[in-house]
Amino acid sequence: MNESVDISVDFAGIHLANPVFTASGTCGYADELGEYMDINRLGGFITKSITRRPRKGHATPRIVETNSGMLNAIGLANIGLDKFIEEKLPVLEKMSAAVFVNLAGETINEYVAVAERLANEKAIAGFELNISCPNVKKGGISFGTEPVQVKEITSAVKKAAGEKVLMVKLSPTVTDISVIARAAVDAGADALSLVNTFTAMVIDIESRKAVLANKTGGLSGPAIKPIAVYLVNKVYNEVAKDRGVPILGMGGIRNASDAIEYIIAGATAVAVGTANFVEPGCAAKIIEGIKKYCTRNNVAQIRDLVGSLLKEE
Amino acid sequence: MTKNRSSANKGVFCAAVCANRQIRQRFYRLRLEFSGAGAEAFSNFKPGQFAELDLCDTALPPAKTIPEDLSNAAGRKILLRRPFSFTDVTMQGDKTLVDILYCVVGPATLRMTTLAAGNSVSIIGPLGNGFWVPGGKKRAVLVAGGMGAGPLEYLAKILTADYPGIEAIALAGAKMAKELPFEGRLDEISQQLGFSLPVFAKYGIQSVVATDDGSAGHHGLVTDCLSEWLGGPDLASESMIIYSCGPEVMLARVAEIAKEKKIDCQVSMERRMACGFGVCQSCAVECRVSDSSETIYKLCCEDGPVFDGMEVVF
Repeated sequence: MNESVDISVDFAGIHLANPVFTASGTCGYADELGEYMDINRLGGFITKSITRRPRKGHATPRIVETNSGMLNAIGLANIGLDKFIEEKLPVLEKMSAAVFVNLAGETINEYVAVAERLANEKAIAGFELNISCPNVKKGGISFGTEPVQVKEITSAVKKAAGEKVLMVKLSPTVTDISVIARAAVDAGADALSLVNTFTAMVIDIESRKAVLANKTGGLSGPAIKPIAVYLVNKVYNEVAKDRGVPILGMGGIRNASDAIEYIIAGATAVAVGTANFVEPGCAAKIIEGIKKYCTRNNVAQIRDLVGSLLKEE
Repeated sequence: MTKNRSSANKGVFCAAVCANRQIRQRFYRLRLEFSGAGAEAFSNFKPGQFAELDLCDTALPPAKTIPEDLSNAAGRKILLRRPFSFTDVTMQGDKTLVDILYCVVGPATLRMTTLAAGNSVSIIGPLGNGFWVPGGKKRAVLVAGGMGAGPLEYLAKILTADYPGIEAIALAGAKMAKELPFEGRLDEISQQLGFSLPVFAKYGIQSVVATDDGSAGHHGLVTDCLSEWLGGPDLASESMIIYSCGPEVMLARVAEIAKEKKIDCQVSMERRMACGFGVCQSCAVECRVSDSSETIYKLCCEDGPVFDGMEVVF
C-alpha cells in the first residue's frame, strides 16, 4: 500500500527519491553513518563543511547539552579540500543520494576555490553555501547577516559552481531572515536551507565561566524546532514560493511528524541533524514514517503537501 | 589484546536490565544483558572501549530522593546519549552480561538509578579503542582515579585470564574515602599493598588505596604512590606498562612519571561527546605528531579513548 505513495521530490532540478537529507556536520564526510543505516536510502546527503585547507577547530569543550538541545562550537574542523577529494569523493561517487558539499571559508576567494575545484565532479549534485556558521571569527556568519555581503558571496560562488545546484544556508540570528533569503535568491541561489544553529551561551554558575571553550556556540535540537518551522514558513511565504526556489527545512527534526510539519510550512525537503547523534539510523525511520503519513492521509504525492498550511478563513 | 580499530560489528542494540545496585552513597553498578546480535557484538568488548546509553526516556527518581545539589539539573530534559565503559563482561550461554559502574552526577545518571530488572535500554557500541598489551611486558601497574577504576577492573580480569606472564598491581585514588567507587569499609583499609579492594583481589591482584585527605589508605596522591612503587629495586622499565584512567590532571602526572622512567603508558581520556561514533567532532584530544613540533586533534571516541600517554598534550 505504501508503495503507491510517491514521496519523490524535485529539488532545484535534482530528482530526489525522498525528501530526507542528513544535515551538514552530523553525518560525516561520506559513509560514516553506514554502520547504522543504509545511506543509499537517503534522498540527500550534505557533507561536513569543507575548507580549502584543513582546519583543526576549537579547543574543548566543544559541546554542551541544554534543555532539549545542545550547543556546539566545533570551529569548522575538517580535513581540507585535498584530503576530501582523495579520500572521500570516491566513496561519495557510489552513493545514490544527492550529495551536497557544504562550503566554508574565511574569505570569498576560499569559498570560490573549493567550489571551482569540485564543480566538475560527477559525485556532487550541488553545494550548500555555509554563510551562517556562528562559531568562527572570520567568514561563516559574518557573510550571512548583511544582504550586500550575501549577494556578493552568492554570486561569486554561483559562477564558480558551474552547473551544480547552489543552496544557501541561512542563519536564524538575523533581524529579518527574508531579507537575507531574498538577497541570496537575487544573486542566483537555486535553493535555500534553513535554519543553521542559533548563537547561544551556557554559563557554569560555580566558575562563572562560559562552558564552551569558544564561549558561544550554536543551539540545535528539539529546543529550536518551533522557531525554525516559523522561519521556514516565513521565507516560503515571503520569498521562496513566488520565486520558485525550494527550501530545505531543518532544526530539531527527530521523527516523521517533525518532518511533515516543515513540509507543510513550505519546505520541499528536510534535513535531520542533531538527531543523528542520538539515533544514527533515524533518517531511514523518518522516510518510512513520511510514507505512512501520506497513506493515512490520502496524500498521493508528498510534493502536494509542500507549503500546504491552511489559512484561516 | 592487540591495538586495533573499533569493532567491526558495532551497532544500536537493546539491552535488558538485570540489576541496578547501589554500592556507596552516589555509586551504583548496573548489570545489563544482551541477546542475539547484541550479545555477539559485546562479547568482543575490550577493556577501555565504551558504549552510548540512551537514558532520555528513563524516569527520574522521586523528587524527595534527589540530592539537593542536583535538584535544579534534574528537571532538564536530556537529549544526548551518555558514554560508559564496562567493568565486566561475561558470557552466559548465548547471552552477554555487562556491568557498568556509574556515579550520580547529573540528570542522566540520576535517571539511570531508576532502571530496574524488566526495563530495557538502547545502547550503541562497542565504540572506540581499548587498552592493548604490547609484547614483552611482565608487569602492569593499573592507576585509577575515582571512577577511572571501572574500565581498569575489566582490564584486571583480562590480564589475569589471558596474560599469565604479566604480574599486575592496582593503585586507586580519590579525594576522600567516600569518593572511592568501591564497596566495604574503606576508612579501615591498610596503607600497604594488599588484597584490600575486592574488585582487584578477585583476580588475584593486589592494590593500594590513596586519598588526598587521608580518610582511606595512603594519605596523599595516587601518583605519589606510583612514583614510590616505581622507585623500588629491580624493576626493568622495558618490561613494564602503566594503564591509567581518571581525572585529566592525574593522567597528566602519570604520563609524566612514565616518561621520566621510560615506561610504556596508556591513558584513557574523557571528553564531552554528542555522538560517540565520530561524526560530531566534539571530543577533540590534542596529540603530538612524531618528529614534529606540530600538534593535531584526534577524536576521543574514534582514535581513543585509550591513547599512548606520550602522544597526548596535557
